[in-house]
Amino acid sequence: MDSVTLTIDGRPVTVAKGKTVLQAAIESGISVPYYCYHPGISIDGSCRVCVVKIEKMPKLQTSCSTLCADGMVVSTRDRDVVEARAGVFEFLLINHPLDCPVCDKGGECPLQDFSYTFGPAESRMDFPRRVFDGEGVKADVDFGPTLMLNRNRCILCTRCVRFMKEIDGDAQIGIVDRGYGSEIATFQEQGVHSLISGNLMDVCPVGAILTKDYRFKSRPWDNPGVVDTICTLCSKGCNTSAWLKAKPEWARGSRLIRMTPRYNPDVNGYWMCDIGRFNYHWIEGENRLRRPMMRGSAGSAAQAAPLEASAWHDVQPRLRDRLQEAGSGGAFHFLASAHASMEELFVLKQLAEALLGGDAMKSVSIGWEATEKPQPATTKFKVPVTDAPNVNGARDLGFAVGRGNEGPADLSGLRKAVEAGTVKALYVIDPAGPKGSLGDISWIAAARRSGALSLLVVQAVVTSELTEAADFVLPGSAWVEKDAIYTNDQGRVQAASRAIAPPGEALEDWQILVNVGRSLGVALPYESSGDVRRALAAAMTGYSEAERLAFMRPVPASTWMQASNPSERWKWDFLFQDLPPTKGHNVQMEGLPAQATPFIPLKPVQ
Amino acid sequence: MAYEPVLTKFVNEPNSYTLDFYLKHQRGYEGLRKALTLQPNDLIEQVKASGLRGRGGAGFPTGMKWQFVLKDTPKPKYICCNADESEPGTFKDHVLMERNPHLLIEGCAISCYAIGAKVAYIYIRGEFFHVQEILEAEIDKAYKAGYLGKNILGSGFDCDVYVHRGAGAYEAGEETALIESLEGKRAQPRIKPPFPAVAGLYQCPTAVNNVETLCNVPLIVMNGAEWFSSIGPEKNGGPKLFCISGHVKRPGVYEASMHTTLRELIYEQAGGMIDERPLKAVIPGGSSVPILLPEQLDTPASFDHIQKAGSLLGSAGLIVMNDSVCMVWLAMNLLHFYRHESCGKCTPCREGSDWLFKLLRRVEAGEGQPKDLDLLFGVSNNIVGKTLCAFGDAAATPVLTTMKLFRHEYEAHVREGRCTLPASWRAEHPIFAAH
Repeated sequence: MDSVTLTIDGRPVTVAKGKTVLQAAIESGISVPYYCYHPGISIDGSCRVCVVKIEKMPKLQTSCSTLCADGMVVSTRDRDVVEARAGVFEFLLINHPLDCPVCDKGGECPLQDFSYTFGPAESRMDFPRRVFDGEGVKADVDFGPTLMLNRNRCILCTRCVRFMKEIDGDAQIGIVDRGYGSEIATFQEQGVHSLISGNLMDVCPVGAILTKDYRFKSRPWDNPGVVDTICTLCSKGCNTSAWLKAKPEWARGSRLIRMTPRYNPDVNGYWMCDIGRFNYHWIEGENRLRRPMMRGSAGSAAQAAPLEASAWHDVQPRLRDRLQEAGSGGAFHFLASAHASMEELFVLKQLAEALLGGDAMKSVSIGWEATEKPQPATTKFKVPVTDAPNVNGARDLGFAVGRGNEGPADLSGLRKAVEAGTVKALYVIDPAGPKGSLGDISWIAAARRSGALSLLVVQAVVTSELTEAADFVLPGSAWVEKDAIYTNDQGRVQAASRAIAPPGEALEDWQILVNVGRSLGVALPYESSGDVRRALAAAMTGYSEAERLAFMRPVPASTWMQASNPSERWKWDFLFQDLPPTKGHNVQMEGLPAQATPFIPLKPVQ
Repeated sequence: MAYEPVLTKFVNEPNSYTLDFYLKHQRGYEGLRKALTLQPNDLIEQVKASGLRGRGGAGFPTGMKWQFVLKDTPKPKYICCNADESEPGTFKDHVLMERNPHLLIEGCAISCYAIGAKVAYIYIRGEFFHVQEILEAEIDKAYKAGYLGKNILGSGFDCDVYVHRGAGAYEAGEETALIESLEGKRAQPRIKPPFPAVAGLYQCPTAVNNVETLCNVPLIVMNGAEWFSSIGPEKNGGPKLFCISGHVKRPGVYEASMHTTLRELIYEQAGGMIDERPLKAVIPGGSSVPILLPEQLDTPASFDHIQKAGSLLGSAGLIVMNDSVCMVWLAMNLLHFYRHESCGKCTPCREGSDWLFKLLRRVEAGEGQPKDLDLLFGVSNNIVGKTLCAFGDAAATPVLTTMKLFRHEYEAHVREGRCTLPASWRAEHPIFAAH
């Protein structure tokens, strides 16, 4: 690749040709502030805070719009630059309400941070501030189903305008009026209606656009931990960060407080969709399964008995007996969701092969849903149709997945067999919520109620019609509750890290399968999901890297500042240079040396 | 030295705008006929040799601008005629389009031929309703007579001219904002580079020229480069329109060579000062340029001489003020305009113009404090040179120039708590309502 070498603040800096001075400065850790610039969208050159002095150019230049050239001599600390920059910061704050203490962006706000670093010590403005919709909380107006807008805070960087035009493909946001009266608006105040609207909160460098989901829920300093993970709600596998709020266990509300995208140029860029961003409340919701359940306490006559919460050690032997009974007839079948991770499907395959021998793969169905997402044809961020993360992984393991990611799973064969009574016992594995991930499977519950199925075991995470009809309900884990790997629609193997523990007595799904297997006398020699991955990496072609994937743990504030706010991560990377290096923190697969899972060492007790 | 007008000679004749009149009295479309026999490059060379400088304000050599238009490209090229005449004190293009539209149409066609464009857009100011009607009617006539359209005058050259009326934004007069507006977007300036000559309208090579500039082109082709450059001082050749407004007896548009001094323009052409009151200040080039004082009136009104005197010829809109004008009021008046017209893209201009206006209103009302004067100076300097286009500089100039030359008036406002100048005429002519 062609490169150019320039000098910034006396330091020689070499960057790829075509980079701007601002990008060169960011890459080399030189502090230059910016608002209208965002690495994921086009250059606007309007906020004017990134001005630098370039030798042989008469005026100060905006570094975001100036391409690097060989021999260029740039200064970001020249007196002219410092004064000009401070002047622009003064302008930015003359009308910005200094309501940081009640603003949801406060604490992670580029306007706050850069103003402290580069702005003047005090403002000379003594006129009342510009007010659009009202002062205080009246300034917050509805901005579509997912967002709120506060025009008083807006600094008119137009990142949101450009995001909607360039990434979403539907330019719903515009600026109306002119000059000092310019305001962000949508047509007839309709608000933003987009499947990727949540990104607008990330691109907004101030607290002007907020998601209704996160608004008033937490503050940065209340979120002591953030975990780099991936989203598993569709086949794309966006790299995300799961934010955890500090709270006592007994307090209301959840620990998972938001999901934000994490930069991965090959998968999701800087973005994620609203499904992945907002659809996490069920994980700590009322409908979670926390304890194993089974019917009655005596033999097969117990079908009419109600489901009762029980303990694993009581459920395990009963389940073994019923499975042995069913397995002897040869009419035993597994139905696993493609939300199951590689580890779970790998263990399931071994379990099925041990129990059912040669016909094992025919006795396992993989299910998932597919929905066409309404998006503009010109969108740069296409949300896939497949609503499951691991269809390709299931295929790699040898399971029949039909057309794969092109459409929904075809369970008609299984349905026929169940309704005809040729399948007597069904073991369903579905670690997805809130409505399950297998589509309309009311026929399973109906078959169990009618007696066509004599045994229904459901390993799931939320209560549903299916768990109501089941003989055994085994509580599993959602994707943020376990370390697991998934193969996305590109065939990329990615790691989802455990952010929180499963609730109550729920176990990781691979563990449940291993326990079931062991009770049936199947040797599954795994003590951890890492063991499963090692075996999987050895057994499967193309998965040799799987055991080297890095799993993350909640990291403290100093680290998440640098690593976990994707739109501003470049900023964090250079603004907090004195903090320990975390480069590569979000790189999970490529070229990463084997890394031990970070954990807190126990202190010896005296 | 008697000067024979060429651009505006017939503007007071009835029907001067018609095609027949143009053909009969102004050797109409002879320039186009002659241009079509030349090679486009020779045409550009001829315009370069004439030394024609852009009449919109910057005074950039037109021939060079055309030469910069990318040649080797499969993309279409465009001429955009900047008829968004919005600079306060400027009204020359209005006259040309209203009274001599065929000169502009012919200029558009020749310019298209010179740079290899097939389409010219005349971006006309939002308020020029009736001018648009006249222009479009005359363009129709030119089409029917074969001066526009396919195979013009049998040469094989095609050229279309369209009139596009803006929505009335001052900023649309900036060339890249004009292009944005023409594309149907908000009139906001683009980052340069790339310049319009490389990526202009629809990202195609484009030359943006002022109305008066294009009107000079047929004259150069007809009469030759030497004729053109012989009018006026060196490097400031050709006929020039001056818009004279303010406290003069006969405000209006006057055509003269750039040898003419400001004094001649004001006291001879425009008939001198109303009531013979003394001249206090003159803004020589539209509201965006620094003020000149009475002792500088003998400066010839050319691009170079005015620049040497510390101001700019700009759009040649002379705003003449007598001794009754309060300079603080002047700055406030102009800032009222600029804060209203700032497009709002760049932070310093958007926020600064409003702040300046608020400060000026306070000082003008006699409620200012000494610190406000430093603040006016500081805020203005924080705008100058910090914005994408020249608007920011233009908005700060009225404050900086009045503070430099008339700081005592500002101080008097602060000290006395009121304006110390006689203001009777202002009461009679309220220019804007305070809000």
